[in-house]
Amino acid sequence: MSTADTDIGAGAPLPSPAESRRTPGLVPVAETMRTAERHAPEIIASPEPPPARGTWAFWRLLGSELGLTFRRPRNLELLAVLGAVPILIGVGLKLAAGSADDPEMGGILQDVAGNSLMLTFMSFSFLVLLLMPVAISVVAGDSIAGEAGTGTLRYLLAAPAGRTRLLGVKYLNAVVFAYAATVVVALSALLTGLILFPGGSVTLLSGTTVSMADGLLRILITVGYVGAGMAALAAVALALSTFTEVAIGAIAGTMVLVIVCQVVRAIPDLAPILPYLLPTRFTDFDAVLRSPIDTASLRDGLLTFGAYIALFGSIAWARFSGKDITS
Amino acid sequence: MTAVTQEAGAPFGAAPPSGDSEAASEAIVTRGLTKRFRGGQVAVDALDLAVPRGSVFGFLGPNGSGKTTTIRMLLGLVAPTAGEYSVLGLPPAHALPRVGALVEGPAFYPYLSGAANLMRFDAADPTAQRATAKRRIGEALERVGLSAAAGKRYRNYSLGMRQRLAIAAALLGPRELLILDEPTNGLDPQGTREVRALVREIAADGTTVFVSSHLLGEVEQMCTHAAIMRTGKLVAQGTIASLSSGRVARVKVETPDAADAARVLGTLGLADVRAGDGEVTAELGGHAPEEINAALVGQGVAVRGLAVERPSLEDVFVGLTGEGFDVDG
Amino acid sequence: MRRGTFVRWGVPIAAAAVIGGAIGAGPVIAAVSGDPVLPERSAEQLLADAAAATSKSQGIAPMSGTVQQTASLGLPALPQTGGGSATSPLSLLSGSHEVKVWYGGDEKFRVAMPTQLNETNLVVNGDQAWYWDSATNTATKLTIKAGDGQKPVTPTPQPTDLTPQQAAQRVLSEVDEHTTVRVINTAEVAGRPAYQLVLAPKAEGSLVQEVRIALDGETYVPLQVQLFAKGSAEPAYQVGFTQVTFTQPAAENFTFTPPPGAKVEEATLGEDGEKAEERAEHAAGVADKVKVVGEGWARVAVVPFKLSDLQAQAQSQDGSDEGNAAAMFDTVLKSATPVSGTWGSGKLIKTKLVTALLTDDGRLLVGAVTPEEITKAAGVK
Repeated sequence: MSTADTDIGAGAPLPSPAESRRTPGLVPVAETMRTAERHAPEIIASPEPPPARGTWAFWRLLGSELGLTFRRPRNLELLAVLGAVPILIGVGLKLAAGSADDPEMGGILQDVAGNSLMLTFMSFSFLVLLLMPVAISVVAGDSIAGEAGTGTLRYLLAAPAGRTRLLGVKYLNAVVFAYAATVVVALSALLTGLILFPGGSVTLLSGTTVSMADGLLRILITVGYVGAGMAALAAVALALSTFTEVAIGAIAGTMVLVIVCQVVRAIPDLAPILPYLLPTRFTDFDAVLRSPIDTASLRDGLLTFGAYIALFGSIAWARFSGKDITS
Repeated sequence: MTAVTQEAGAPFGAAPPSGDSEAASEAIVTRGLTKRFRGGQVAVDALDLAVPRGSVFGFLGPNGSGKTTTIRMLLGLVAPTAGEYSVLGLPPAHALPRVGALVEGPAFYPYLSGAANLMRFDAADPTAQRATAKRRIGEALERVGLSAAAGKRYRNYSLGMRQRLAIAAALLGPRELLILDEPTNGLDPQGTREVRALVREIAADGTTVFVSSHLLGEVEQMCTHAAIMRTGKLVAQGTIASLSSGRVARVKVETPDAADAARVLGTLGLADVRAGDGEVTAELGGHAPEEINAALVGQGVAVRGLAVERPSLEDVFVGLTGEGFDVDG
Repeated sequence: MRRGTFVRWGVPIAAAAVIGGAIGAGPVIAAVSGDPVLPERSAEQLLADAAAATSKSQGIAPMSGTVQQTASLGLPALPQTGGGSATSPLSLLSGSHEVKVWYGGDEKFRVAMPTQLNETNLVVNGDQAWYWDSATNTATKLTIKAGDGQKPVTPTPQPTDLTPQQAAQRVLSEVDEHTTVRVINTAEVAGRPAYQLVLAPKAEGSLVQEVRIALDGETYVPLQVQLFAKGSAEPAYQVGFTQVTFTQPAAENFTFTPPPGAKVEEATLGEDGEKAEERAEHAAGVADKVKVVGEGWARVAVVPFKLSDLQAQAQSQDGSDEGNAAAMFDTVLKSATPVSGTWGSGKLIKTKLVTALLTDDGRLLVGAVTPEEITKAAGVK
């Protein structure tokens, strides 16, 4: 900075060396870097909005983001596919159960045919492996990279959306979508189950039976748990999304990670690292089907999700807040 | 090269007519602003820019001369490697709500309508009021003549409509500074004229307009000030008039008596007299062309033609950048 | 690199450090606060105390917890067997498994082995016992033959055999003149201070470095058994509580009613059907043929063995557990190294804990000893 000043002094007749050293109104880069994102501009007297309006503005941006996500045909198609899977499973089981009393039918399938609520757990156990992660990766992986790809990111930041603020909105949006996907699956499975299969008390994996109300409560816990798991995956996808300008790259990257984890699960020698992998924890929602509910397993799962969110959220922030937007 | 530096420095040192050298009177000030990208490529090299408030400032330079990188730094999209800068007297991040921008062409959500796109960007601005958004969007669309196409999906917009929508987005709020990067790119001559008229209109309201362009004619027609970039360095800046006056005008006399004419011009005190086959040229200096003509005729020199050649901004530009310039666009 | 870059990336690095710290906090806290928390005991004192504590009239105090079993025996990757095999004993040879136990005293206990979307349960309440397998939706009522006066034993060889108590007993019986015994009083298992009884083989040819049995510092309940192979810091085999509480578990853990729609079967323990008898006869027959070479930890079992027999068996019993065993054996054999010496020639299979030698003259030698020891044993005809 001082060298630049000297150059000017030599090349141009500036008023005086003292003045050229620090012109009023000029902000050194190092200082802007520090103040720009982190501090409210209290030093500068300018018509800044009162803080209360900042909060409203945040919700307004989130509303805009949600509107974009939930009106986008591609995302609605993803939700529709997720909602259709439990119906397919339910109808398939109904046909299988109706055609023959197959004594070889597995326990969980028998449970589904025997109780309307079990279809929800069955559907989750299938969908959390791949299909739900795909849907969540698409939305979260697209969040920053997609905007960068279309160039709208530069206009959002010039608006100025604020980098930390935009990232926060993007992540919350992905979390809402994750829970929306989870709720869609649960509702679709629940409705299909209620139409196709008898209601009544629910048989748990432990062989004990609980009332239908208890069963519904357990579905609610499952939705909370699976949604949290998908939110953790969304953090990973968001972090990848800040490293690329090609949305499909971030989406595919997340999917590769999920599939690698599923492969690792099949290798017994790698068992010690399994508890630390995200997809291992997705299926742990079956803890609600035990008697008593395996709260330790749910707690460990939630802690894992929290750790993933903290780690990948901060990576996304570190990357995005310092990234040169050249798209 | 030294001469160029001095020429570049001279307008900088020459204070605006008001004599007010306060930085706050400048819409944009940079000092030694430098951007070195990863990989060592220096896109902008020690840029000292001073854009006076109220001016229409043309930011000229061939493609790849660092104009867009400079604009990205001013908008807080790219972090400078070194130097100081301020926009409207503030760090760029704080000034942004009062700055409208068009950077490197329009970019919108193809599946949204024009109005919905503007609503989206308005929502991103924390200082924008939701209550007034509809009205402001309507006004902005009206201003660029897109009211009729407000409900149409962006996907179906023509290139010119897209460019105008981008300008509308830059006009969503009350702006003190408008940064327009190549605003007439992709527009037909009619659209280009409209944009120029719009810029003049905006400037008339007191808004500073910073227009980057690789089109010289555009800058000459729209701007009061200009700066010229070459390979990341600023080679000249000042008012359009001061930039052109940096070069001397020459008088050209067409005559069969070239030797006599040269002698007469010499006695008149004109510098750099060059006699050629059937013509003589010299620096005009402070002389009036009619006075030269009278002297030549008085001395019995047959004058077939007499012309004064004043340098255009293009000559200045070619002289400074040493490059051909895309004049017609 | 700009200054801000370091500040920014400091945040995820700090996050990673905190997470890493939280994962490693258990051992770290144990290391920090792990100075002698328990009074020192000699091995005899400890064993006496333990015996006294467990042989009191009420037996082991009511408790519940999670038992984890981890094996890293260095076996070649085992072939993936068909569905339902997660609970098969073979699967316990590699990887990590978890069972939950509830012990209510008075012959009341429940052992559950949760697997993904499945669970097997053994619920024993006095002379009533149920075995529940959610995978087949089958509840088996086990009747324990009255009059024996024996404590209830688990049915078929299930992983439930491997509670710390049973594993500890098994190892304790090995303690003799071939073993050095010492006691560590700074161990911690499942968050509880514990004594560790360390049994180290004296025989140099043994592959076993040491066996550690952790006894709860308060109740003397065995909490963990670890088997260390020579030259390995991690236990090759470990079974122990990862979480344990010494309170009376809820009563509903010890009652079981078959759910509606489940298949209900009955089985009587003690006169365990013809198959078990056959097995016992077969086992006795094999035992006659087994010869033991060496002493203590360096013992090597020599069994007459023909590979062709096993393959024939595999073909006839495809799909069954024996068939799976044969398939596994095939895989293991592929990784065997051919060896030869004055005793003849054969194929050697070495894992962290066990060495096996299949000689070409039809003998199988197995022992927890080094290859040198086993070839020495092969020379003893």
